This record gives sequence, C-alpha cells and structure tokens, in this order.
Amino acid sequence: MIRLEKRAQPLRFKGVVAASWALAITAVLGCLIFAGLGVDPLTAYAAMGKGVFSSFDAFSEVLVKATPLIFTGLAVATAAVMMLWNIGAEGQLVWGGIGAAGAALFLFPGLPAWLLVPLALAASALGGMAWALIAAVLKARLRVNEILTTLLLNYVAIIYMEHLFYGPWRDPAGFGFPGTAQVPEAAQLLRFASTRISIGFPLALLCAVFLYYLLNKSIWGYQVRVIGKEPRAAHYAGFNVTGKILTVMALSGAFAGIAGMVEVCGIHYRLQTGLAAGYGYDGIIVAWLAGLNPLVVPFTAMLLGALFVGGEQLQSVLGLPSTISLILEGTLLFGLFAGQTLAGYTLTISGRSGEAR
Amino acid sequence: MAEPVISLRRLSKRFGQVWANRDVDLDLSPGRVHALLGENGAGKSTLMSILAGRYAADSGSVLMHGKAVSFNSPAQALDHGIGMVYQRFMLIESMSVFENLALSAGKTSGARNLARGIERIASQYGIAVDPDRSVFELSMGERQRVEILKLLMLDAEVLIFDEPTSVLTPPEVESLFAVIERLRGEGKTIVLITHKLEEVLKLADDISIMRRGRIVVSEPIGARRMSRQQLARLMVGRDVVLRVDKKNVPVGETVLALQGFSGDSPLGGPAFADVSLEIRKGEIFSIIGVAGNGQAGLVSAIAGLTRARSGTLTFGGTAYSAREWVGARTGKIAYVPEDRHHTGSIGAMSIAENFGLTRLDSYRSGVAGMLLDRARMTADGTRAIGAHDIKTQSSGDRAGSLSGGNLQKVILARELTRDAQLFIAEQPTQGLDIAATEHIWNALLKCRERAAVLLVTGDLKEVLSLSDRIGVIFNGRILEIIDACDSDQVNRVGLLMAGVVS
Amino acid sequence: MIEDLTFIAQISIKSSVAVLLATVGGIITERGGVLNLGIEGMMLIGALAGFAAGHFTQSPILAVAAGTAAGGLLSLVHAFFTIALRANQVLSGLALTILGTGLANFFGRPLIGQTGVRIRQLPVPGLSDIPVIGEIFFNQSPYAYAAYLLVPLAWVILFRTRAGLVLRAVGEDARSADAAGVDVAFTRTASVFVGGLFAGLAGTYLSLSYTPGWKETMTGGQGWIAIAMIIFCTWNPLLAFFGALLFGGLTALQFFFQATAMDLVPSYILKMLPYLLTIGVLVLVSASSQHRKSAAPADLGVPFHREQ
Repeated sequence: MIRLEKRAQPLRFKGVVAASWALAITAVLGCLIFAGLGVDPLTAYAAMGKGVFSSFDAFSEVLVKATPLIFTGLAVATAAVMMLWNIGAEGQLVWGGIGAAGAALFLFPGLPAWLLVPLALAASALGGMAWALIAAVLKARLRVNEILTTLLLNYVAIIYMEHLFYGPWRDPAGFGFPGTAQVPEAAQLLRFASTRISIGFPLALLCAVFLYYLLNKSIWGYQVRVIGKEPRAAHYAGFNVTGKILTVMALSGAFAGIAGMVEVCGIHYRLQTGLAAGYGYDGIIVAWLAGLNPLVVPFTAMLLGALFVGGEQLQSVLGLPSTISLILEGTLLFGLFAGQTLAGYTLTISGRSGEAR
Repeated sequence: MAEPVISLRRLSKRFGQVWANRDVDLDLSPGRVHALLGENGAGKSTLMSILAGRYAADSGSVLMHGKAVSFNSPAQALDHGIGMVYQRFMLIESMSVFENLALSAGKTSGARNLARGIERIASQYGIAVDPDRSVFELSMGERQRVEILKLLMLDAEVLIFDEPTSVLTPPEVESLFAVIERLRGEGKTIVLITHKLEEVLKLADDISIMRRGRIVVSEPIGARRMSRQQLARLMVGRDVVLRVDKKNVPVGETVLALQGFSGDSPLGGPAFADVSLEIRKGEIFSIIGVAGNGQAGLVSAIAGLTRARSGTLTFGGTAYSAREWVGARTGKIAYVPEDRHHTGSIGAMSIAENFGLTRLDSYRSGVAGMLLDRARMTADGTRAIGAHDIKTQSSGDRAGSLSGGNLQKVILARELTRDAQLFIAEQPTQGLDIAATEHIWNALLKCRERAAVLLVTGDLKEVLSLSDRIGVIFNGRILEIIDACDSDQVNRVGLLMAGVVS
Repeated sequence: MIEDLTFIAQISIKSSVAVLLATVGGIITERGGVLNLGIEGMMLIGALAGFAAGHFTQSPILAVAAGTAAGGLLSLVHAFFTIALRANQVLSGLALTILGTGLANFFGRPLIGQTGVRIRQLPVPGLSDIPVIGEIFFNQSPYAYAAYLLVPLAWVILFRTRAGLVLRAVGEDARSADAAGVDVAFTRTASVFVGGLFAGLAGTYLSLSYTPGWKETMTGGQGWIAIAMIIFCTWNPLLAFFGALLFGGLTALQFFFQATAMDLVPSYILKMLPYLLTIGVLVLVSASSQHRKSAAPADLGVPFHREQ
C-alpha cells in the first residue's frame, strides 16, 4: 500500500523545489511530445531557445509577451492571497481595453500625451475594477462562488467588446476590418528602440513591487493575508471579511484592466480582435508558479513569455503548431503539483495486509 | 475467565512529536465489558482506533485469538469482527437508515435480505429503529443505535464504544446500558471508553486506566473494590508539585456578569443553558468540566464570537442583551482560544506578525495609519521571546514551527499586552509539558492582579492550583460555584464533573 | 407560427445535447465529491479525437469511441492529481482545461478545414411522423436519442442502485463511507473517469454532428455552462434535461433571429444571454440556499485523507 505522509519538517525552499520539479517534468514531457512527432527534442528545444535568446529583438518579444502576463498574474495573485479565485482576468482585461479605447478615442481625444496616457490608464483600471466588482458583490452578499461568475463574465465581456468594434465603435475608415480606429498618437505608448516594449513593462514591474509592499507592509495587506491563511483566526480577530472581498477583487480587476490598456495603447493601437488572447487564464499559471509572490510574478511571466515566443519559433522554423506552448503551460502547473507533493510529503510503500478469517 | 480474544502488546503510536500511545499492553475477554478510563488526551480513542483499523500503529502488535493481525483499514478490522462506535458518528446524514446500513453491508445482500436482517438483529438485541427515516432526523440516541446495528449486521464480535453517553439524554443512557448488557449476555466483547465514573461502576467488569499514553492500571473491577475517589485520583494522577506564586490579591469590582445566558455551540455541539455568574477583578474564576459539556459554546459567546440565544451580559457596568453583545465586542477582552493553531495564531506567519492579530490598532503607522509598523511588531515579539523564555531563534521564525508550549506562550504574551479588563484562557495548558504549564499558570496569576480572569479548562489540577472560585459545568449548566478556599466543597469538584451531585 | 415554434423547439434540443451530456457526466463526478473544472478541455479533446478518428477511419463508431475515450483519458490526469496527490481541485481542473485546449489545438492544426465523418439526423420511423412532437423530439441525431436514454439511466443508477448509493455516500461524507468499508479513492477515480467519458462524448457531438468539422473554438464555453448547469439542476440528472434545454433554447433563438433578420433584440444581447442567464441561475441558487442546507454533495471539493 502506498501512503503519503506529511513531512514532519517542511523542506527548506519548498517553493523552489516544487518549481524545479515543475520545470523538470515539463521538459521531459516536451521531449516525449517532440519525439512522438518525429522531431529530435534537442533540435526543438534549441530552436525555441534560439527564438528567445538569439538577439535582443528576439528577447524583447519575451518582455512584450510578459507584460500583460505580469499584470494578469498580479491580478490573480492578489485575489488568491485571500483564497479568492479570479478566473475573470480575461474579461477584466477586455474591459480595461474598452475603457482605455473609450477614453482615448471618445472622451479625451484631443489631450496631450502626458494627460491622455494617465487618463486612459485610469479608465482601464476602473473598467477592470468595475467588472471584477460584479462577481465580488455577488460573492460578498450572496455567497455566489466567484469561480463561475468571474469566468462566465469573461464571455460576456468579449461579446460586448466585439459588439463595440463591429458596431458603434467601428473604424469608419477600416474597410470592414473588425476594430476601432487607431487611438490618437498621444495615447500610443512610446516604444523602446526598435522593439515593441513600451512603458507597460516597467509599469508592470512597478505594480509588482507595489503589490508586494501593499501585501506585506500595510494594515490592509496584513488582514488580507490573515484571512487567506487562517480564516478562523481572522474571525477571532474581528476582521471585516466582506469589505475585504470587495477591495481585493477591485484591486485585482484593476491590475487586469491595466493589462488591457497596455495591449490597446502599446501593441495594437486600437481595440480589435485578438485582445482577448488568453492572458487572463495564463495569469493563473503565472501567479501559482510564482507561489503567489508578487516579486516572483515577473519571472514566471517571462518564463511563460519565453515559452510562447519559443513556440512561435517552432512554428516558423520546424512547422510545428505553436500551440505546443499551451500544452507545456498546462504541464507546468501539473508539474508544480507533483513538485509540491514531493516537497511536502514522503512516499512510503508498505506491504502489510490483514489475514482473512 | 475466558481466554482473551484480543491482546495488545507494546503498542505505540506517534503524531508528529507527541506519543499518543506508549508501550500499551491490554487484554480483552469475551462476555465482559472492559472500561477504558482516562482524561482527555490520555490516548484512549487513539488506542482503540488502531484496534478498529482506522489508524496504524508505529510499533507493537495486535493479537487475535493468539495470532498476530494488522489492519490497513476499518473495513479489514470489520472483516475480523472488530467494530467501533465513534464519538462523531460515521453516518451519512442526508441518507436514510436503510441506505446507511446497505452501504456497510456490502454487495452480499440484496435489499429484501437486508431488510429482513435488520429486523432480526434489531429484535435479537432490543434495538428499535425505523429504517426509512433519514439520519439527520434522528436523535443522538437513535443514531447511536443505528451505529450499533451497523456493527452487529457485520457480525462484529468486538464492539468498542467511544464516550457513548456524551451525546445522550438520561433515558437514552438507560436504553444504551440495556443494549450493552444484552450484548454482553450474547458473548460479545465490549470496550467502553469513558471518563464518567458512574458508568464504569455500573457496567464494567474490567477496568484499565490510561494516562498520557500509557496504561497505569489494568485489572478486573472487583480486584481492589475501588471507590469513586480512588478512581478519580488514578485518572488524574499523583499530585505533581508545580510551583505557583499565588499571592493574596484584593478583589475589585465586577467586570463580567452573566444572567440566564443560554446559547448553542458554534459547531452545532452541546448548548449551554441558563448560565449566571460574576467575575471580578483580582480573581481567577474557573469553569471546569469535561470536554463536550457546553463550555466551548459558552466561551465563544462570552468572547463575542458567536451570538447567544438569550440572557444578559454585563461588562464593565454596561448591560447588553445576548443579541447586542456580538456587535458590541470590545477590545477590553483578551482571549486565548483553545485552538492554538488555526484560531489563536497563524502558523504560516512569523511570531512578530502573529503579534498583530488582535492588536492591529497598536501597530498602525504612516499616513492615515495605513502602514504596518513592522519594527514595533518585531520589537514586541523579541521582547516577548525574552520575557517568556520562548525557545526559538528570533521573532522572525514561523509560528507554525514552534512547539505547542512555545506557541501558547506567544499567544499568551500577545493577549497579556492588551491590557484587558477580562482575560479569558480556554484550555490553556492542554497538551503542554510541565515547564510550559508552570509558566502559563504564573502568567495567569500575575494577570489576575490587574484584571478579571476567566479560566475554562478540564484539568482539575489546574483549577485547584489557580482558582479563586470554581464553577463546574455539566450538560451545559453550571451545577455549582465553589469557593476555592473551602476544601470540603473542593473535594466534590471531581464528582461534580462526572455529573454526580451528591 | 406553429412551424416557427416547432423549428425553434427542434433546434433547441439540438443545441442542448452537448451541454446536456457534459452536465450529466459532471453530475456523476461531483456526486462523488470531486470538482472537475476541466470539462471544457475534455470536450474539446473529445471533439478533436472524434473528428480525427472519423477523418482517418471514416467509421462513425470508431470516431465516437475515440472521442469518448480521449475525454476519459484526460480526466484521469485530473483524477490522479486530485485524488492520489490531493492537489487543489480548482487549479487542477483549470490546468486540465488549458492542457486539453493545448493538446486539441496542437494536434488539430492540420485538420482544420478537413472533412471527416458526419453523423446525420436520424428520424425515428413512425414516431417522427407525429405532428409537432415527432418533428421536435424524434427528428434528431442519434446523440439526442442517446441523451434521452442516458439521462433517466443516470438517474436510475444514481438513486436506485448500489453503485449510485456508494457514489453519493462518498460525495456526502467520505469519512463515513470509508468507515463503512468503501474504497473512496477508487470510487472517486471512477466517477471522474465517467464524467470524462461523457464530456468526450459531448465533444464528439459537436465535431461529428452539430457543426461537423474541426475549429479551434469549437466548444465556445459550453463546458463552463455545463459546470454551472450542474449547480442549477441541483445535481439531479433529470433536471439537467431542462437546464440544458434552457441554454439550447437561447441558442436557437439566436439562430432564429439571425435567420429571419428580426431585430427584436440586438444580436449581441442574445449572444450574452446564455452566460448572463447562467449567472442569474447561480445567484438564485445561492440566494435560496441561504436559509436551507445546500443541495451540493457535502464533501464536494474536499480531498479525502483518513488520518485526520
């Protein structure tokens, strides 16, 4: 009989051990998939690596991909610290994009960049926040499980966005291409050198640091962490849990909303299809791989970004569908589970059996 | 006397660092009721859970009819004819009695056979039960009967009862005793885990007393013709001399007064009813009772964590109704809860951070008091480590890594610095070693100089060493309030705890 | 008018089959106490496996079998991590969806735009001639007929057989079931597997019958709707029929309005309705269970561990 027994002394650096196992298992699975497809695993990994590290431009794409992932990762992590599941970062990102596009195109189009960009940023944060609060209120007041509500709202958000850029917000000069007009130049985020990196990236890093300090250095953050770790202790201490649900989800939604703004104003320069590219869901992986630590989120976001860029390279060089990244992404999380088990428990196999009467 | 059916030899079981059972030897014979007596935490339930296949022993052996057996699951134990009726019933509440019995009966019998079997056994042992009712509708006594029926239908020969009367009303207790006597008459081997002396004297043929994981006495009950007092003393143990500094402190004004306070327990457990008492500054008022007699609910309501149903609570001169008190919960009450690990502290956080749990307002700093004054928390934590001799490296260590005693010292230190008018300590030394116990006792005595102290415990020694006044709780009511100076009355406390109002 | 309504009703049933099958499977899994949010991923992989098998073997039976089995196999990953390793069930289910989506899209890339096997509508001889009723209920694909049978069958198994009793016991109170001698781990694994089979089957319906072909967003969130449906129909397979029909009805209305160019309701609102309605349903369920005990299996989502 196989038994899992909790380790009496938790391993030091449990998180690192678990994450290492996650990477190892994923790498092995990747080898299996490549081999199964008749491709030499080493060639495949080399191609992926080349895609990421061959030039500064190539690596810059990793940062570009990582930027929205950092935001959605922070969004998911914020909620998860209090044991709330925000599966709706995707929809909140969309609403952030809607808010930013709306502000830039219709509300404040004539303003100079130093006013327009912060306004668009604020609008996107508000958009994401409001969308997240719907699920938050339902949870706080009616105890409706937020997993499903946040998730279903994703679909609603995407449908509404499509309605906007196919309909009332459609680009009049767009030849039927689904999307809004380009946002005014003042709203377009400046790019670094010849890459697509915008101020979005440093902003994301700033947000990560901000969240870290908020969670660890503020009274609010302290209460959130206690509620998440020991709800009974929080009740004993008289913390206002209902209020926290609302503020935590609001902040979470705001982060996701900002991701939307960065994509709209920094990458696409308009609200269009392709805004909802799954970053909201990827954020879940990013957050949990980072152990919900805001300072680690940028790294796991870059890891995932590298995975995506590498996948695209596989597609162009070896003709393999880039969706292999998704497979490896899913495996990363399962690998994390396996790693956590190995780090936290010992496996004992005993061969005892009772005698029959 | 017949040959023992079951023999336990040098059985040991550890949970983490603590030995729940240590080198236990025990013999069980058929046609006899064997009482297993001991305080809370003595290891009785653990021992029997091993026999019933729920836990695995770390070392030692179980012999059945002389042959060694080991069980990997309750099902295997049942195959060998050993079954246990647990304190927390293992019945699926939303299902009917019939469905529950069908579940354990296995695939062997069809529905009609099952129904007939139930009737047969029910009448053979005098256990009345309606198979179609859902379990959640049944009273505790009825549920227990279903559990017994479950075991009998599986041809159990050894039946273990874990504190069976703790959830029964007096008439149900009588019914249970009748059933047990029938079972004994039919040659079954019965084990009765209990702390209630009356039951032991009424039913038991053999008696074993456990203390701190070991068997201290094991013999037929007639062997020494023991009185209740002797049994009680054996259960509790020789008086260990702990040094306590109990000064004479003048008693001050009434801090807390309860009048007709009634309510339920937070987890649906036993309720408390009609509690009236007063606690004054300068005294330690103890509420003593065996676990499960309503004290958990009472403390929770006094601390303002759950709402009592009726009665009034007067705190610091202001009277509150039961409903008002929850909202009015003030910062003037310090509370060291029974659950150290998940209520009183946060295992995943550092000692310093744990200091903030109930004292958050004193750690506000920065703009609009929004920041956490970590420096002060660390300083307070470090000071507490020194003042209370807490065995740990620094205040940055995880609270979860501390031993029970050290963790309790942290919680105590935190609550002591709150300068509360009322200090509640709930089972404060449960599971702690002598040194930690002594330390906490002295801390409580010191606290008493500045505040009113409510001590809720099941530990008789503790009560006798610390209290100024003692209230004994049994079945949710305070049976009597005794002055600790009155040694004649004090001798009755042990009996009162067992419900014996002489 | 009658013709229009009949048409809408027929399309409603047609559009409800995938959600219905996935919901019934999900009910079986959750009745055992395991939360599996990976239904969307399992449906997608079932859709792909079924389509691929159909494309290469041209055999409808093999196609259905392959897709169904694929869903079952994927679910075992979730079963292993949540039951053996006691991993968090929410995360595992989400990861399963991502993994399933990735696998399906990866292996399905070359199959986009290809043709496969098509399972057409099969009118039931005799019954389909009954006016109105016959057209609605008996002029459907074999999947619908299978659903008509599987739904009451699931109910019977769940509430009238020993297997169902054991399953429900494990979902309500794993501790007591274990004490009664039930193998909790095996029961839960089996329930997850069966749920996976149903999800895979539902997926094959989409790629072989409903909208034959392979498209990367084939399931369109129906897996998530199914998860909400499980709650809506209080874990009762018979009610799942009506819940799924609600969803199917909305979908049918969408088509109808698009086809007749009726602008009663803006199309985007119609598209949103299934999701908004599902949220509404969840709110209703939560609000009403404030006062009485929830209908959910009491041990849902709680990993089982004997030494407590």
